[in-house]
Amino acid sequence: MPIVQFAPFTSLVQPSFWHELTRLKIDVLKLSDDAVPIRGSYTTGRSVVDRESGQEIALGCNLSVGSESFEKDHKHDRLGSAHASGTVKNYNTIEDFKAADKTALFNGEADKIWNQIVTTRDTSLLTHFLLITFADLKKYKYYYWFAFPAFVSKPAWEIDEAGWTSASTEYTPEALASIYTQHRNIDAPSFFLVRSSGAEVTVGTVESLEEFYSQTPDSPITVGFIDPSANPTNPGWPLRNLLAYLHALYPTKTHSVRVLCWRDAEIPSTGNWKSKFGTVSVPNTESVEGATTKPSAVGWEKNPQGKLGPRVADLAPMMDPTRLANQAV
Amino acid sequence: MQALQSHIFAVREYLSPVLKESKFKEHGRITPEEFVAAGDFLTYKFPVWTWEKGDASKTREYLPSDKQYLVTRGVPCLRRATSLAYTDADEDAERLLSFAEGPTASGEADEWVETHAGRKATQDSAGNAGTIDDIPDLDGEKDGDAVTRGLAGLSVSGNQSASAEVPEVTPDLDDIPDMEEEDLEDGDEATAAITAKPVALVPATLKPGVVNQADALNPNLLQVRTYDVMISYDKYYQTPRVWLIGFDENGTPLTPTQIFQDISADHANKTVTIEPFIHSASLQAASVHPCKHASVMKKVIERMNNSVVEEQLAHRKLSSSTSGKDSKEKEGKKKWPFSRKSSGTGKDVVPQAGGEDEEVEGMRVDFYLVVFLKFIASIVPTIEVDSTTSF
Repeated sequence: MPIVQFAPFTSLVQPSFWHELTRLKIDVLKLSDDAVPIRGSYTTGRSVVDRESGQEIALGCNLSVGSESFEKDHKHDRLGSAHASGTVKNYNTIEDFKAADKTALFNGEADKIWNQIVTTRDTSLLTHFLLITFADLKKYKYYYWFAFPAFVSKPAWEIDEAGWTSASTEYTPEALASIYTQHRNIDAPSFFLVRSSGAEVTVGTVESLEEFYSQTPDSPITVGFIDPSANPTNPGWPLRNLLAYLHALYPTKTHSVRVLCWRDAEIPSTGNWKSKFGTVSVPNTESVEGATTKPSAVGWEKNPQGKLGPRVADLAPMMDPTRLANQAV
Repeated sequence: MQALQSHIFAVREYLSPVLKESKFKEHGRITPEEFVAAGDFLTYKFPVWTWEKGDASKTREYLPSDKQYLVTRGVPCLRRATSLAYTDADEDAERLLSFAEGPTASGEADEWVETHAGRKATQDSAGNAGTIDDIPDLDGEKDGDAVTRGLAGLSVSGNQSASAEVPEVTPDLDDIPDMEEEDLEDGDEATAAITAKPVALVPATLKPGVVNQADALNPNLLQVRTYDVMISYDKYYQTPRVWLIGFDENGTPLTPTQIFQDISADHANKTVTIEPFIHSASLQAASVHPCKHASVMKKVIERMNNSVVEEQLAHRKLSSSTSGKDSKEKEGKKKWPFSRKSSGTGKDVVPQAGGEDEEVEGMRVDFYLVVFLKFIASIVPTIEVDSTTSF
């Protein structure tokens, strides 16, 4: 059976994020380079039909940060979108930025996620990211590097022969519409559970898993998540840590997990659901105690050249007063 | 110069009174209340649009504090408008396509040509009247040529990252700290390869004449940019105003020159400028100057209204038992208020409609922004702001 390949996040930094970081650096942080908690958000995977060729083109699997990322209690109530918590660490000099102990920082964040899983069983940290930056304020240049830690499953998850199929082959349109409505009403909408009895479907939170399946303890777990990927064969990055979470906490129940990749921001009027469904499994599951040790994690973002390295945002054309004046005439 | 101009605009907007009386059918302008109503409708029908508060210090008191402007993020833009190489004829065709759905009567084509012609005329007359003076404008062909050359260079360099010809628009790669750390983590079998640059088939329908330099060099490459589109209310012009912030396929913010590639040649550098976004303390965005919006919207609304009135009358005649308005609403998204009936040309029905105007409501102001988006789509032809057709 083929190995499940997850579509990694790509970062999308709104210019307003850099404006806010600049303000924060000058007015609040000053010389401190302590880590600051922030938030990011991602939405269901989007694709667009090219009007010229008629092809459907999957857009990037974006995790975006903006000026609202610094607000402590910002509620982003848009349909089909989810939060990710994160940490930003801004260095004072480019030398510090280069010399930063990235492995230690990365492992620190990965430990946070893992501890959250094993101690509180809370899913809120599952999609957690690290951002290191150096802001060259005089030149309006921002060097940054994102990391989206995800735990590596050994052996890797595999998808069954059917592969990733349209969700409408597994569920009726009514059931999907019902999932859509119910899912909007639960507290942590990034991840959810689905239980179906006959034609009826019920949606619950992942935290309440045992209770949720108490009626039918032997039935396979069905998890859903807001899938930022629009790629037909690759589920999005958040599923990785969700599977790690399930495997760590419920090793006996997760030989095989049914996965609903939720990709519909609204109920499609054409009845053409974009969500995907698949059954993933881990071959020869290890002993129960093996599952609670922290697996290794990966997730540094690659730069546009496809190498592991930082990116740069040059905002001089949009921020430098002289450049703006030149452009305006 | 530009900063001064922005300040003058700000003062002028501050001094101008808030429009109280609804006149959207007469001259295409709307009140703040109507802007909110139309925005509510837009966000309800198309949840990709959301209301935003904006910066607290920039709150406009004539709008609800939590409904200062509308925003939609990540609007895809597959091709550059410069690669479309529009002629006037194409533009007419585009407009016809974007408004009329399904089979269209030939009479409509005339009407759309008319709309277009009317718009040209207003542009000219406005220019003569002197209102165009306060728009930063290019003078002479020489500058225009320079911009064209710049754009041509850009589309090549955009594909191949850095190019020595246009150093000021591409981030200088030497500046990126040399800190690639391939040993930071091992290759991971469960990580899908990033497809930052989606590959599509060669568009076979493209005529050789319209293939631009970039396409010729790299026929398989689509540069998918995304835009954040904001709609604010302009108190001076009493119309909505559109703002754009763009990103390239790597999530890097676009420069003004790059943004102009996505704006049809008629408008780039003329009605579209980079200005401080009015609901943010520091953000700069490309904006379509709203001085023409009212007159264009008036033309468009007139046509829409006639067809809506016509349709409502037809409904009334057909089903006297059920109210036409109710059944129209129940049919929902599929039944677009301005999808024309192919029976009967508009001109024949208009006089009747005028007589019975008290009975039929005509186009409701809620649709204003939906119509407005279709108009904006003609200015930025490759940015898919008009999500309304895909539903």
